[in-house]
Amino acid sequence: MSAFSTTDAIARPPAPGRSRGSSYWRDLDWVLVVAAIGVTIFGSVLVWSASRADMASANDPQSYLKRHLINVVVAMVLGYVASRLDYRWLRAYTPIIYIVSVLLLLVVFIPGLGTSIAGARAWIDLPGGFTIQPSEFAKVAIIMMMAAILAEKRDVESEPHDRDVLMSVGVAVLPILIILVQNDTGTVLILGSVALSVIAVSGARRRWVIGLIGGAVIGILLALQLGLLQSYQISRLTSFLNPAGEPGGATYNSTQARIAVGGGGWTGYGLFEGPQTQGKFVPVNESDFIFTVVGEELGFIGSALLILLICVILWRAIRIAMKADDLYGRLISTGIVAWLAFQTFENIGMTLGIMPITGIPLPLVSAGGTSMMSTWIAIGLLENVRLHSARSSLT
Amino acid sequence: MRLGNPARRGGILTLLVVIALTIFAARLIDLQAVRGESLAAAALDQRLRTVPIVAGRGSIVDIFGEPLAVTVEARNLTVDQTLVTDPTAVAIALSPILRMDIGELISRLTGERRFVYVAKELTPDTWRRIEALRLPGVFSEETARRIYPGEDLGANVIGFVGADGIGAGGIEYAYDAVLAGTAGSLTFERGPGGRVIPTAQREQVDATAGASVQLTIDRDIQHIAQSAIAAQVASSRADSGTVVVMDPRTGQILALAEAPTFDANSAGEAAAGDRGNRALSAVYEPGSTSKVMTIAAVVDQGMATPYSTFTVPSGLKRGDKVFHDSEPHGTLKLTLAGVMAKSSNMGTILAAERIGGRTLYEYLKKFGIGEETGLNFPGESSGKVPKYKDWTATSFPTIAFGQGLSVNAVQAASVYATIANDGLRVQPSLVAGVLNADGSVERPPAPVVTQVVSAETAKQVRAMLESVVGEGGTGTNAKIPGYRIGGKTGTAMYVDPTCGCYRDGVVASFIGMAPTDDAQLVVAVSLVNPRIGRYGGELAAPIFKKVMTYALQARQIPPTGTRPANLALTFGGG
Repeated sequence: MSAFSTTDAIARPPAPGRSRGSSYWRDLDWVLVVAAIGVTIFGSVLVWSASRADMASANDPQSYLKRHLINVVVAMVLGYVASRLDYRWLRAYTPIIYIVSVLLLLVVFIPGLGTSIAGARAWIDLPGGFTIQPSEFAKVAIIMMMAAILAEKRDVESEPHDRDVLMSVGVAVLPILIILVQNDTGTVLILGSVALSVIAVSGARRRWVIGLIGGAVIGILLALQLGLLQSYQISRLTSFLNPAGEPGGATYNSTQARIAVGGGGWTGYGLFEGPQTQGKFVPVNESDFIFTVVGEELGFIGSALLILLICVILWRAIRIAMKADDLYGRLISTGIVAWLAFQTFENIGMTLGIMPITGIPLPLVSAGGTSMMSTWIAIGLLENVRLHSARSSLT
Repeated sequence: MRLGNPARRGGILTLLVVIALTIFAARLIDLQAVRGESLAAAALDQRLRTVPIVAGRGSIVDIFGEPLAVTVEARNLTVDQTLVTDPTAVAIALSPILRMDIGELISRLTGERRFVYVAKELTPDTWRRIEALRLPGVFSEETARRIYPGEDLGANVIGFVGADGIGAGGIEYAYDAVLAGTAGSLTFERGPGGRVIPTAQREQVDATAGASVQLTIDRDIQHIAQSAIAAQVASSRADSGTVVVMDPRTGQILALAEAPTFDANSAGEAAAGDRGNRALSAVYEPGSTSKVMTIAAVVDQGMATPYSTFTVPSGLKRGDKVFHDSEPHGTLKLTLAGVMAKSSNMGTILAAERIGGRTLYEYLKKFGIGEETGLNFPGESSGKVPKYKDWTATSFPTIAFGQGLSVNAVQAASVYATIANDGLRVQPSLVAGVLNADGSVERPPAPVVTQVVSAETAKQVRAMLESVVGEGGTGTNAKIPGYRIGGKTGTAMYVDPTCGCYRDGVVASFIGMAPTDDAQLVVAVSLVNPRIGRYGGELAAPIFKKVMTYALQARQIPPTGTRPANLALTFGGG
């Protein structure tokens, strides 16, 4: 999987009778793979820096980093598997994948298995100190399920039937409601925008798109009006509008994040040298607020580089979606683009104080095993769609 | 929105990404470039902490370097309440180590405050035991603890430090600037939990340790003097008592004892009156011990010798007042030595009239009465003699036998030290030197020396003081076998501070020296307002004997082997 084998493969014309295995490595979107690996390594270094202060007195100061790297390796293997799965197999088993992830979402509520972090009951405890966040897998499952429904039996028709659109809305709303009960507002917002994007790109009538946006707005207003959201959730969501609010309250995180990023200046303090980072002024700066680490320690140059790398991933993902030769692949890749784009913008945006604060990780960068795995599965699915398109175009 | 052109849809997606990217870039430049410096300054301000490094306080030692006050390393126990998840469990763990009430501990551990003192001045060992428990939120800060190993030993001289570690009494107060040293500072960056950020810069200005103060006090003599006066104050049910031990040749004060006293380790719990220094701050009318000045002045002026004769009537009218001696008597025929030995008020008045009031006044001033001792001790009071021009017809006779003027115990002792030192008055001193941390020693300037009376006068007065202790004198209880002892009793009317008038109360005193023909020690004892017993010869002289006996041995002063002067006290069979 090095750059060498790439040039090697391009330089030589494919030999006759060459196996499918070799065309896999040749047809892979290497720019996407390299960008994703680059962001993952970049993120691991940031996680290392952010966890140093916490781990300074631990028996093994690198234990946090090691666990993160184990997650990265597992995630990449899952991504590879996702890229190699047979397209038809994938489509056939999508309902099972979907049902399993919805059940996993419910496991969180079983006492003794589920765990709350920062007010959200969204994790399942595993032995060895690992936890999984089923809502991360639900992102993948919802995209696949919606794509399967909307692309069903009409790959040649121009627009999906209303019944299919309604069904796809249903498969999105069920897990969204469960996650809402888990108090994981950030993930709900991401899934909402993902579902909307998938339906929009599926070719559904305009009234569906407008109706769904309207429905979402009414839903949010109702939630506020009926007190379904806790007051801390509202204050977290609105604190970015009022950055000079009470100190130590909802605006503390936001203020600390901006102080850390601002302190970095053009070039930053240098890796491991960011005083606000090493002093742990910014809460959860190994996951939700990891962007403050690059902002403070590597400055504008490092931050811009990280954003550019993520944008390369998004660019390649959009390109795969555009070149997808079937609706199913196009909807999967579109959903993934919407997911990664919205999650990235939301995460970095909240760090910079221009988006509400919600507890979501920065894809491929933040610590958090399930997020790392689901994102690499998404990368794998993107490659799967690309490989399928490349093969169809050859035949 | 039709399925339509994939390129258009891709274009819209790409456009959205580019817009978001532009917003991020603009925001990053705003934060990191435009507002970078002010945000970095805000960040630094948040992290920087400067804490003082306490300079080790110098010790206070006695004349032989024995420690009287020392500073040891200690720890204050602090808590970040927000980190304590189970205050009850932490309190139960701490309670037996700190010997503190669990309820009290729980209240200090519970809350939202990030810095609260739990206990102060723990020993390093106690802190190690707490640290081993690894209790979350429980921290310590380095501090110092002032320890007085002798507890009440010399406490009224040494003084004490306040809760802030600053001298609040005695030498601790007077020499605070010397003892305290110069505090340093440590500037470091710390995280919100209070922990030091390891990679950040530190700037340390080292503290300069304080110098030690060496007193003239001899710890052992001080101890004997304190226990002797404490016992006598208790058994005589006196208000208070003092003992001053001086070396007349150097002016050095070897002991400055008083009762009741206090434990300097817990000065806060002591009564304010017991924490001062009565020997320097409480003045009293000296009474008969003052007669030594009058008689020395008369002899020094050549107006009398120890053998001069005085016919003392039963009463003596001066001004509008008739003076008597303490015990009624008929007409007595006393020598000047007899006047001294019997402590005759009228005899002293008759002798004083040979030199007159103005001359007496001048001698009193030369003896240091009404003048500062030069010790610069906090709270010192120098006593008072009315100015000569203010004297009334009764002032002169009254002052001649020691009423109507006031002295502190050190001044009174200094008068006898002057007689002991051949009329040469050496200013008293309490501090023998300052021992700097670098090993250098600063000695105080040589004491002021004044010739008050001639050596011959002093010698004759000493001879007369011997007869006080001898057969027929008032101070026979002061006699120490083998040694030549001279001294004077005093039983002065005591000015009751509640009314400013004379009542029944007296100040019983004895001041003396040894050996009389080579005087190396002066001991002054006084008891204020005793209720069991009354006279100086009865209450103070035994304490003089006890302290002087010990001090002579401690200083290895041998008897001189000569015989006392044995002056005649009466004449003509009177």
